[in-house]
Amino acid sequence: MKSRMLITGATSGIGAALAARYAGRADLLLAGRRPYEEVAATLPADAHYVVADQSEPERAAAQIGKALADLGWETLDVVVLNAGTGWSGDPATEPAASIRNTLDANLFAAVTLAHALAALLEGGQLVLVGSTARRGAPRFASYAAAKAGLDGLARALSEEWRGKVRVKIVHPGPTATGMHAKAGFHTGRARALFAPPEMMARLIERAIARRRIRRTISFPQYLAAAVTPWRR
Amino acid sequence: MDLLLARGYDVVSIDLNPPHTECTAVGIVCDLADREALDRNMAAIFAGGPYAVVILNAGISATGRFEKMPVEAYRKLMKVNAEAPMVLASALANAGALKGHLCFVSSLSHFTGYPGAAVYAASKDALAVYAKSIRKPFAKRGIAVTVAYPGPLRTEHAARHAPPGADAARRRDPALAARTMLDAVLAGKRVAFSDPRARTVAVAGGLLPGVMARAMRRVIFEKLDRDVW
Ligand SMILES: NC(=O)c1ccc[n+]([C@@H]2O[C@H](COP(=O)([O-])OP(=O)(O)OC[C@H]3O[C@@H](n4cnc5c(N)ncnc54)[C@H](OP(=O)(O)O)[C@@H]3O)[C@@H](O)[C@H]2O)c1
Repeated sequence: MKSRMLITGATSGIGAALAARYAGRADLLLAGRRPYEEVAATLPADAHYVVADQSEPERAAAQIGKALADLGWETLDVVVLNAGTGWSGDPATEPAASIRNTLDANLFAAVTLAHALAALLEGGQLVLVGSTARRGAPRFASYAAAKAGLDGLARALSEEWRGKVRVKIVHPGPTATGMHAKAGFHTGRARALFAPPEMMARLIERAIARRRIRRTISFPQYLAAAVTPWRR
Repeated sequence: MDLLLARGYDVVSIDLNPPHTECTAVGIVCDLADREALDRNMAAIFAGGPYAVVILNAGISATGRFEKMPVEAYRKLMKVNAEAPMVLASALANAGALKGHLCFVSSLSHFTGYPGAAVYAASKDALAVYAKSIRKPFAKRGIAVTVAYPGPLRTEHAARHAPPGADAARRRDPALAARTMLDAVLAGKRVAFSDPRARTVAVAGGLLPGVMARAMRRVIFEKLDRDVW
Protein backbone atom coordinates (compact mmCIF):
# COMPACT_ATOMS: atom_id res chain seq x y z
CA MET A 1 0.00 0.00 0.00
CA LYS A 2 1.16 3.52 -0.76
CA SER A 3 1.95 5.68 2.21
CA ARG A 4 -0.55 8.31 3.23
CA MET A 5 0.70 11.83 3.44
CA LEU A 6 -0.68 15.22 4.44
CA ILE A 7 1.08 18.37 3.25
CA THR A 8 -0.12 21.84 4.28
CA GLY A 9 0.61 24.96 2.25
CA ALA A 10 0.77 22.78 -0.86
CA THR A 11 -0.64 25.40 -3.24
CA SER A 12 2.59 27.24 -4.01
CA GLY A 13 6.32 27.31 -3.46
CA ILE A 14 8.03 24.56 -1.52
CA GLY A 15 4.79 22.77 -0.58
CA ALA A 16 3.67 22.55 -4.21
CA ALA A 17 7.11 21.24 -5.19
CA LEU A 18 6.93 18.64 -2.43
CA ALA A 19 3.47 17.54 -3.56
CA ALA A 20 4.74 17.19 -7.12
CA ARG A 21 7.66 15.04 -5.92
CA TYR A 22 5.53 12.64 -3.91
CA ALA A 23 2.65 12.47 -6.43
CA GLY A 24 2.16 8.92 -7.67
CA ARG A 25 4.35 7.48 -4.91
CA ALA A 26 2.10 8.44 -1.98
CA ASP A 27 -1.60 9.02 -1.40
CA LEU A 28 -1.76 12.76 -0.86
CA LEU A 29 -4.08 14.99 1.11
CA LEU A 30 -3.06 18.57 0.38
CA ALA A 31 -4.18 21.61 2.35
CA GLY A 32 -4.33 25.28 1.43
CA ARG A 33 -6.21 28.45 2.23
CA ARG A 34 -7.70 29.07 -1.22
CA PRO A 35 -10.81 27.46 -2.76
CA TYR A 36 -10.24 24.34 -4.85
CA GLU A 37 -11.17 25.99 -8.18
CA GLU A 38 -8.40 28.52 -7.74
CA VAL A 39 -5.64 26.00 -7.08
CA ALA A 40 -6.81 22.92 -8.99
CA ALA A 41 -4.39 23.54 -11.85
CA THR A 42 -1.35 23.51 -9.57
CA LEU A 43 -2.25 20.29 -7.73
CA PRO A 44 -1.18 16.80 -8.85
CA ALA A 45 -4.07 15.09 -10.64
CA ASP A 46 -4.83 12.33 -8.13
CA ALA A 47 -4.28 14.33 -4.93
CA HIS A 48 -7.07 15.19 -2.50
CA TYR A 49 -7.49 18.79 -1.40
CA VAL A 50 -8.92 20.47 1.67
CA VAL A 51 -9.41 24.17 2.37
CA ALA A 52 -7.99 25.03 5.79
CA ASP A 53 -7.03 28.64 6.47
CA GLN A 54 -4.52 28.55 9.29
CA SER A 55 -5.34 32.13 10.26
CA GLU A 56 -8.02 30.34 12.27
CA PRO A 57 -6.04 27.43 13.65
CA GLU A 58 -8.80 25.62 15.55
CA ARG A 59 -11.06 25.76 12.51
CA ALA A 60 -8.27 24.61 10.17
CA ALA A 61 -7.58 21.59 12.39
CA ALA A 62 -11.29 20.70 12.36
CA GLN A 63 -11.45 21.02 8.56
CA ILE A 64 -8.43 18.78 8.06
CA GLY A 65 -9.82 16.31 10.59
CA LYS A 66 -13.07 16.19 8.69
CA ALA A 67 -11.33 15.68 5.35
CA LEU A 68 -9.39 12.75 6.80
CA ALA A 69 -12.59 11.24 8.20
CA ASP A 70 -14.33 11.67 4.82
CA LEU A 71 -11.45 9.86 3.13
CA GLY A 72 -11.67 7.12 5.76
CA TRP A 73 -7.98 7.53 6.61
CA GLU A 74 -7.36 6.29 10.14
CA THR A 75 -3.59 6.56 9.98
CA LEU A 76 -1.10 8.97 8.45
CA ASP A 77 2.44 7.95 7.56
CA VAL A 78 3.85 11.43 7.06
CA VAL A 79 2.50 14.87 7.90
CA VAL A 80 4.44 17.86 6.60
CA LEU A 81 3.33 21.10 8.24
CA ASN A 82 4.72 23.46 5.64
CA ALA A 83 2.18 26.30 5.37
CA GLY A 84 3.75 29.58 6.36
CA THR A 85 3.36 33.29 6.05
CA GLY A 86 5.16 36.37 7.30
CA TRP A 87 5.18 40.13 7.70
CA SER A 88 8.24 42.16 6.92
CA GLY A 89 9.25 45.60 8.13
CA ASP A 90 10.32 47.63 11.15
CA PRO A 91 9.03 45.51 14.07
CA ALA A 92 7.84 48.59 15.97
CA THR A 93 5.38 49.31 13.18
CA GLU A 94 3.97 45.81 12.85
CA PRO A 95 0.22 45.96 13.54
CA ALA A 96 -1.09 43.82 16.41
CA ALA A 97 -3.28 41.95 13.92
CA SER A 98 -0.21 40.92 11.95
CA ILE A 99 1.70 39.72 15.03
CA ARG A 100 -1.33 37.66 16.02
CA ASN A 101 -1.84 36.23 12.55
CA THR A 102 1.84 35.38 12.09
CA LEU A 103 1.90 33.47 15.38
CA ASP A 104 -1.43 31.80 14.64
CA ALA A 105 -0.85 30.68 11.06
CA ASN A 106 2.76 29.52 11.53
CA LEU A 107 2.95 28.32 15.11
CA PHE A 108 -0.37 27.86 16.82
CA ALA A 109 -1.82 26.11 13.76
CA ALA A 110 1.01 23.58 14.00
CA VAL A 111 0.17 23.05 17.67
CA THR A 112 -3.52 22.47 16.94
CA LEU A 113 -2.74 20.16 14.01
CA ALA A 114 -0.19 18.09 15.94
CA HIS A 115 -2.74 17.86 18.73
CA ALA A 116 -5.61 16.87 16.44
CA LEU A 117 -3.56 14.33 14.46
CA ALA A 118 -1.65 12.72 17.34
CA ALA A 119 -3.66 9.48 17.30
CA LEU A 120 -3.50 9.07 13.51
CA LEU A 121 0.23 9.66 13.53
CA GLU A 122 1.19 6.72 15.75
CA GLY A 123 3.99 4.88 14.02
CA GLY A 124 4.31 7.72 11.53
CA GLN A 125 6.22 10.89 11.18
CA LEU A 126 5.52 14.57 11.85
CA VAL A 127 7.69 17.02 9.94
CA LEU A 128 7.63 20.73 10.74
CA VAL A 129 8.96 23.28 8.30
CA GLY A 130 10.80 25.99 10.21
CA SER A 131 13.24 28.51 8.81
CA THR A 132 16.82 29.62 9.28
CA ALA A 133 15.17 32.86 10.49
CA ARG A 134 14.45 31.01 13.73
CA ARG A 135 17.68 32.42 15.17
CA GLY A 136 16.36 35.95 14.81
CA ALA A 137 15.61 38.30 11.91
CA PRO A 138 15.21 42.07 12.49
CA ARG A 139 12.91 42.64 9.51
CA PHE A 140 10.89 39.45 10.07
CA ALA A 141 10.62 39.58 13.86
CA SER A 142 7.25 37.93 14.45
CA TYR A 143 7.94 35.35 11.74
CA ALA A 144 11.32 34.51 13.27
CA ALA A 145 9.58 34.18 16.64
CA ALA A 146 6.98 31.81 15.24
CA LYS A 147 9.64 29.67 13.58
CA ALA A 148 11.68 29.56 16.80
CA GLY A 149 8.49 28.41 18.51
CA LEU A 150 8.22 25.56 16.01
CA ASP A 151 11.79 24.56 16.81
CA GLY A 152 10.95 24.46 20.53
CA LEU A 153 7.81 22.46 19.83
CA ALA A 154 9.81 19.96 17.78
CA ARG A 155 12.58 19.63 20.38
CA ALA A 156 10.09 18.90 23.13
CA LEU A 157 7.72 16.68 21.14
CA SER A 158 10.42 14.59 19.49
CA GLU A 159 11.57 13.65 22.97
CA GLU A 160 8.07 13.24 24.38
CA TRP A 161 6.84 11.07 21.49
CA ARG A 162 10.03 9.00 21.19
CA GLY A 163 9.07 5.45 20.14
CA LYS A 164 5.58 6.60 19.10
CA VAL A 165 5.77 9.32 16.48
CA ARG A 166 8.99 10.55 14.90
CA VAL A 167 9.01 14.34 15.09
CA LYS A 168 11.41 16.36 12.95
CA ILE A 169 12.01 19.92 11.99
CA VAL A 170 13.59 21.14 8.78
CA HIS A 171 14.87 24.71 8.61
CA PRO A 172 15.12 25.89 5.00
CA GLY A 173 17.33 28.77 4.07
CA PRO A 174 16.31 31.38 1.46
CA THR A 175 14.23 29.81 -1.31
CA ALA A 176 12.96 31.44 -4.49
CA THR A 177 9.22 31.35 -3.82
CA GLY A 178 6.52 33.99 -3.61
CA MET A 179 6.70 34.12 0.16
CA HIS A 180 8.87 37.23 0.45
CA ALA A 181 6.72 39.28 -1.91
CA LYS A 182 3.59 38.18 -0.04
CA ALA A 183 5.26 39.41 3.16
CA GLY A 184 6.03 42.78 1.57
CA PHE A 185 9.77 42.17 1.29
CA HIS A 186 11.84 42.82 -1.82
CA THR A 187 14.57 40.23 -2.12
CA GLY A 188 16.61 42.18 -4.67
CA ARG A 189 19.74 40.77 -6.21
CA ALA A 190 20.38 38.30 -3.38
CA ARG A 191 17.59 36.23 -4.89
CA ALA A 192 20.06 34.82 -7.40
CA LEU A 193 21.50 32.82 -4.50
CA PHE A 194 18.15 31.45 -3.32
CA ALA A 195 17.44 27.75 -3.77
CA PRO A 196 14.82 26.86 -6.38
CA PRO A 197 11.77 25.37 -4.61
CA GLU A 198 12.25 22.05 -6.44
CA MET A 199 15.76 21.74 -5.03
CA MET A 200 14.50 22.60 -1.55
CA ALA A 201 11.76 19.96 -1.88
CA ARG A 202 14.38 17.39 -2.88
CA LEU A 203 16.51 18.22 0.16
CA ILE A 204 13.48 18.15 2.45
CA GLU A 205 12.53 14.71 1.13
CA ARG A 206 16.04 13.56 1.95
CA ALA A 207 15.75 15.00 5.48
CA ILE A 208 12.43 13.18 5.94
CA ALA A 209 14.15 9.89 5.14
CA ARG A 210 16.98 10.47 7.63
CA ARG A 211 17.01 10.11 11.38
CA ARG A 212 18.22 13.54 12.42
CA ILE A 213 15.62 15.47 14.41
CA ARG A 214 16.70 18.91 13.26
CA ARG A 215 18.05 19.68 9.83
CA THR A 216 19.09 23.06 8.49
CA ILE A 217 19.12 23.31 4.70
CA SER A 218 21.05 26.36 3.57
CA PHE A 219 23.84 27.43 1.22
CA PRO A 220 26.27 24.53 1.82
CA GLN A 221 23.48 22.07 1.05
CA TYR A 222 22.35 24.09 -2.01
CA LEU A 223 25.88 23.99 -3.33
CA ALA A 224 26.20 20.27 -2.76
CA ALA A 225 22.81 19.71 -4.39
CA ALA A 226 23.66 21.96 -7.34
CA VAL A 227 26.79 19.97 -8.17
CA THR A 228 25.07 16.58 -7.84
CA PRO A 229 22.11 16.93 -10.22
CA TRP A 230 22.06 13.15 -10.79
CA ARG A 231 20.96 12.60 -7.17
CA ARG A 232 17.35 13.39 -7.68
CA MET B 1 7.66 45.02 41.45
CA ASP B 2 8.53 45.44 45.15
CA LEU B 3 12.13 45.88 44.14
CA LEU B 4 11.32 48.64 41.61
CA LEU B 5 9.14 50.46 44.16
CA ALA B 6 11.89 50.14 46.76
CA ARG B 7 14.31 51.71 44.31
CA GLY B 8 12.03 54.68 43.90
CA TYR B 9 10.37 53.93 40.57
CA ASP B 10 6.75 54.82 39.92
CA VAL B 11 5.28 51.50 38.84
CA VAL B 12 2.38 50.63 36.59
CA SER B 13 1.30 47.00 36.74
CA ILE B 14 -0.70 45.16 34.11
CA ASP B 15 -2.26 42.15 35.77
CA LEU B 16 -5.40 40.06 36.16
CA ASN B 17 -5.67 41.50 39.66
CA PRO B 18 -5.08 45.03 41.00
CA PRO B 19 -1.97 45.49 43.17
CA HIS B 20 -2.57 44.78 46.87
CA THR B 21 -3.94 47.71 48.84
CA GLU B 22 -0.76 48.91 50.59
CA CYS B 23 1.07 48.93 47.28
CA THR B 24 1.57 52.30 45.61
CA ALA B 25 1.74 50.92 42.05
CA VAL B 26 -0.93 51.97 39.56
CA GLY B 27 -2.83 48.89 38.47
CA ILE B 28 -4.23 48.28 35.00
CA VAL B 29 -6.45 45.24 35.26
CA CYS B 30 -6.31 43.32 32.01
CA ASP B 31 -6.52 39.68 31.00
CA LEU B 32 -3.64 39.27 28.55
CA ALA B 33 -5.37 36.24 27.05
CA ASP B 34 -8.17 38.55 25.91
CA ARG B 35 -7.22 40.36 22.69
CA GLU B 36 -10.02 42.93 22.86
CA ALA B 37 -9.22 43.71 26.49
CA LEU B 38 -5.58 44.32 25.65
CA ASP B 39 -6.46 46.54 22.69
CA ARG B 40 -8.98 48.44 24.85
CA ASN B 41 -6.40 49.02 27.60
CA MET B 42 -3.64 50.14 25.26
CA ALA B 43 -4.46 53.84 25.58
CA ALA B 44 -4.34 53.61 29.38
CA ILE B 45 -1.06 51.71 29.15
CA PHE B 46 0.47 54.43 26.92
CA ALA B 47 -0.90 57.11 29.27
CA GLY B 48 1.12 55.62 32.16
CA GLY B 49 4.31 56.28 30.19
CA PRO B 50 6.74 57.23 28.90
CA TYR B 51 8.42 54.34 30.65
CA ALA B 52 12.09 54.03 31.53
CA VAL B 53 11.78 50.30 32.15
CA VAL B 54 9.25 47.77 30.85
CA ILE B 55 9.34 44.20 32.11
CA LEU B 56 7.12 41.75 30.28
CA ASN B 57 6.99 38.98 32.82
CA ALA B 58 3.45 37.56 32.76
CA GLY B 59 3.48 33.87 31.92
CA ILE B 60 1.47 30.71 32.46
CA SER B 61 2.26 27.06 31.91
CA ALA B 62 0.67 23.80 30.91
CA THR B 63 2.46 20.62 31.91
CA GLY B 64 1.52 17.09 31.02
CA ARG B 65 1.35 14.88 27.96
CA PHE B 66 1.00 17.06 24.89
CA GLU B 67 -1.99 15.30 23.36
CA LYS B 68 -3.88 14.95 26.66
CA MET B 69 -4.33 18.63 27.35
CA PRO B 70 -7.20 20.62 25.87
CA VAL B 71 -6.19 22.79 22.96
CA GLU B 72 -7.90 25.78 24.66
CA ALA B 73 -5.20 25.66 27.34
CA TYR B 74 -2.57 25.98 24.61
CA ARG B 75 -4.45 28.84 23.00
CA LYS B 76 -4.45 30.76 26.25
CA LEU B 77 -0.81 29.94 26.91
CA MET B 78 0.33 31.20 23.51
CA LYS B 79 -1.59 34.44 23.95
CA VAL B 80 -0.32 35.22 27.44
CA ASN B 81 3.27 34.05 27.01
CA ALA B 82 4.12 35.11 23.46
CA GLU B 83 1.48 37.11 21.66
CA ALA B 84 0.60 39.70 24.32
CA PRO B 85 4.20 40.65 25.18
CA MET B 86 5.06 40.95 21.48
CA VAL B 87 2.00 43.11 20.81
CA LEU B 88 2.76 45.26 23.87
CA ALA B 89 6.42 45.75 23.01
CA SER B 90 5.70 46.72 19.43
CA ALA B 91 2.88 49.10 20.37
CA LEU B 92 4.87 50.78 23.15
CA ALA B 93 7.84 51.35 20.86
CA ASN B 94 5.70 52.66 18.03
CA ALA B 95 3.84 55.05 20.34
CA GLY B 96 7.12 56.36 21.75
CA ALA B 97 5.86 55.35 25.20
CA LEU B 98 9.07 53.56 26.06
CA LYS B 99 12.56 55.06 26.17
CA GLY B 100 14.99 52.97 28.12
CA HIS B 101 14.95 49.29 28.95
CA LEU B 102 12.70 46.50 27.74
CA CYS B 103 12.92 43.03 29.23
CA PHE B 104 11.18 39.85 28.10
CA VAL B 105 11.10 36.96 30.53
CA SER B 106 11.75 33.75 28.61
CA SER B 107 12.79 30.39 30.04
CA LEU B 108 15.85 28.19 30.26
CA SER B 109 13.88 25.70 28.16
CA HIS B 110 15.06 27.86 25.23
CA PHE B 111 18.44 26.15 25.62
CA THR B 112 17.27 22.62 26.39
CA GLY B 113 13.86 21.46 25.23
CA TYR B 114 11.03 20.72 27.55
CA PRO B 115 9.22 17.39 27.05
CA GLY B 116 6.02 17.59 29.08
CA ALA B 117 5.61 21.28 28.33
CA ALA B 118 6.04 21.46 24.56
CA VAL B 119 3.78 24.44 24.01
CA TYR B 120 5.17 26.34 26.98
CA ALA B 121 8.62 25.77 25.50
CA ALA B 122 7.41 26.91 22.08
CA SER B 123 5.97 30.12 23.53
CA LYS B 124 9.18 30.92 25.41
CA ASP B 125 11.33 30.18 22.34
CA ALA B 126 9.15 32.50 20.30
CA LEU B 127 9.54 35.24 22.89
CA ALA B 128 13.31 34.87 23.15
CA VAL B 129 13.78 35.06 19.39
CA TYR B 130 11.37 37.96 19.02
CA ALA B 131 13.53 39.80 21.55
CA LYS B 132 16.73 38.93 19.66
CA SER B 133 15.15 40.07 16.41
CA ILE B 134 14.04 43.47 17.64
CA ARG B 135 17.19 44.30 19.59
CA LYS B 136 18.82 46.28 16.77
CA PRO B 137 15.78 48.06 15.36
CA PHE B 138 14.64 48.99 18.87
CA ALA B 139 18.10 50.28 19.79
CA LYS B 140 17.60 52.92 17.08
CA ARG B 141 14.54 54.06 19.02
CA GLY B 142 16.47 54.33 22.27
CA ILE B 143 15.25 51.02 23.67
CA ALA B 144 17.67 48.41 25.02
CA VAL B 145 16.21 44.91 24.81
CA THR B 146 17.12 42.17 27.28
CA VAL B 147 15.94 38.56 27.44
CA ALA B 148 15.81 37.13 30.94
CA TYR B 149 16.29 33.40 31.48
CA PRO B 150 15.37 32.61 35.05
CA GLY B 151 16.35 29.23 36.41
CA PRO B 152 14.06 27.32 38.77
CA LEU B 153 12.54 29.76 41.27
CA ARG B 154 10.56 29.15 44.44
CA THR B 155 7.25 30.48 43.11
CA GLU B 156 3.68 29.21 43.21
CA HIS B 157 3.85 28.64 39.47
CA ALA B 158 6.79 26.26 39.89
CA ALA B 159 5.13 24.38 42.73
CA ARG B 160 2.03 23.81 40.64
CA HIS B 161 3.88 22.48 37.61
CA ALA B 162 6.84 20.65 39.13
CA PRO B 163 6.85 16.85 39.23
CA PRO B 164 6.18 15.28 42.65
CA GLY B 165 9.24 14.95 44.85
CA ALA B 166 10.95 17.91 43.22
CA ASP B 167 13.11 19.65 45.79
CA ALA B 168 11.78 23.16 46.42
CA ALA B 169 14.83 24.01 48.53
CA ARG B 170 17.00 23.79 45.41
CA ARG B 171 15.02 26.52 43.72
CA ARG B 172 16.22 30.07 43.98
CA ASP B 173 14.72 32.83 46.06
CA PRO B 174 12.68 34.90 43.56
CA ALA B 175 13.58 38.23 45.21
CA LEU B 176 17.28 37.55 44.82
CA ALA B 177 16.83 36.40 41.23
CA ALA B 178 14.78 39.52 40.46
CA ARG B 179 17.59 41.75 41.75
CA THR B 180 20.22 39.96 39.68
CA MET B 181 18.11 40.13 36.54
CA LEU B 182 17.00 43.74 37.02
CA ASP B 183 20.62 44.82 37.33
CA ALA B 184 21.42 43.11 34.03
CA VAL B 185 18.42 44.80 32.40
CA LEU B 186 19.44 48.24 33.64
CA ALA B 187 22.97 47.62 32.40
CA GLY B 188 21.49 47.03 28.94
CA LYS B 189 22.75 43.43 28.77
CA ARG B 190 21.51 41.27 25.90
CA VAL B 191 20.69 38.41 28.27
CA ALA B 192 20.04 38.14 31.98
CA PHE B 193 20.35 34.92 33.95
CA SER B 194 18.93 34.58 37.45
CA ASP B 195 22.08 32.91 38.78
CA PRO B 196 25.28 31.21 37.61
CA ARG B 197 23.61 27.80 37.53
CA ALA B 198 21.07 29.04 35.00
CA ARG B 199 23.92 30.22 32.81
CA THR B 200 25.56 26.79 33.05
CA VAL B 201 22.37 25.09 31.91
CA ALA B 202 22.22 27.46 28.94
CA VAL B 203 25.79 26.70 27.93
CA ALA B 204 25.33 22.94 28.35
CA GLY B 205 22.12 23.03 26.30
CA GLY B 206 23.93 24.84 23.52
CA LEU B 207 26.76 22.33 23.46
CA LEU B 208 24.83 19.09 23.99
CA PRO B 209 21.20 19.64 23.00
CA GLY B 210 20.32 15.94 22.70
CA VAL B 211 21.78 15.02 26.05
CA MET B 212 20.04 17.92 27.76
CA ALA B 213 16.65 17.10 26.18
CA ARG B 214 16.92 13.51 27.37
CA ALA B 215 17.91 14.67 30.83
CA MET B 216 14.87 16.96 30.89
CA ARG B 217 12.72 13.98 29.95
CA ARG B 218 14.03 12.00 32.91
CA VAL B 219 13.79 14.76 35.47
CA ILE B 220 10.45 16.13 34.35
CA PHE B 221 8.36 14.29 31.80
CA GLU B 222 8.68 10.79 33.16
CA LYS B 223 7.81 11.95 36.66
CA LEU B 224 4.72 13.95 35.79
CA ASP B 225 1.77 12.28 37.44
CA ARG B 226 -0.89 14.74 36.37
CA ASP B 227 -1.77 17.14 33.60
CA VAL B 228 -1.96 20.73 34.87
CA TRP B 229 -2.96 23.81 32.96
N1 LIG C 1 10.98 30.91 0.81
C1 LIG C 1 11.89 30.94 1.76
O1 LIG C 1 12.92 31.60 1.60
C2 LIG C 1 11.71 30.17 3.03
C3 LIG C 1 12.77 30.06 3.91
C4 LIG C 1 12.62 29.35 5.08
C5 LIG C 1 11.41 28.76 5.37
N2 LIG C 1 10.36 28.86 4.51
C6 LIG C 1 9.12 28.20 4.90
O2 LIG C 1 8.76 27.25 3.94
C7 LIG C 1 7.36 27.07 3.95
C8 LIG C 1 6.81 27.23 2.56
O3 LIG C 1 7.03 28.56 2.14
P1 LIG C 1 7.26 28.98 0.63
O4 LIG C 1 8.55 29.65 0.54
O5 LIG C 1 6.97 27.84 -0.25
O6 LIG C 1 6.16 30.15 0.51
P2 LIG C 1 4.86 30.24 -0.41
O7 LIG C 1 5.22 29.98 -1.80
O8 LIG C 1 4.24 31.53 -0.04
O9 LIG C 1 3.97 29.04 0.13
C9 LIG C 1 3.38 29.07 1.39
C10 LIG C 1 2.20 28.12 1.41
O10 LIG C 1 1.48 28.29 2.63
C11 LIG C 1 0.16 28.69 2.33
N3 LIG C 1 -0.39 29.58 3.34
C12 LIG C 1 -0.02 30.85 3.63
N4 LIG C 1 -0.79 31.35 4.60
C13 LIG C 1 -1.68 30.39 4.92
C14 LIG C 1 -2.76 30.31 5.83
N5 LIG C 1 -3.10 31.34 6.61
N6 LIG C 1 -3.46 29.15 5.89
C15 LIG C 1 -3.14 28.12 5.12
N7 LIG C 1 -2.15 28.13 4.23
C16 LIG C 1 -1.43 29.26 4.13
C17 LIG C 1 0.26 29.37 0.99
O11 LIG C 1 -0.98 29.47 0.35
P3 LIG C 1 -1.17 30.42 -0.97
O12 LIG C 1 -0.69 29.60 -2.13
O13 LIG C 1 -2.64 30.67 -0.99
O14 LIG C 1 -0.35 31.66 -0.74
C18 LIG C 1 1.21 28.42 0.29
O15 LIG C 1 0.59 27.24 -0.09
C19 LIG C 1 6.81 28.13 4.90
O16 LIG C 1 6.60 27.53 6.16
C20 LIG C 1 7.93 29.12 4.98
O17 LIG C 1 7.89 29.82 6.19
C21 LIG C 1 10.49 29.56 3.33
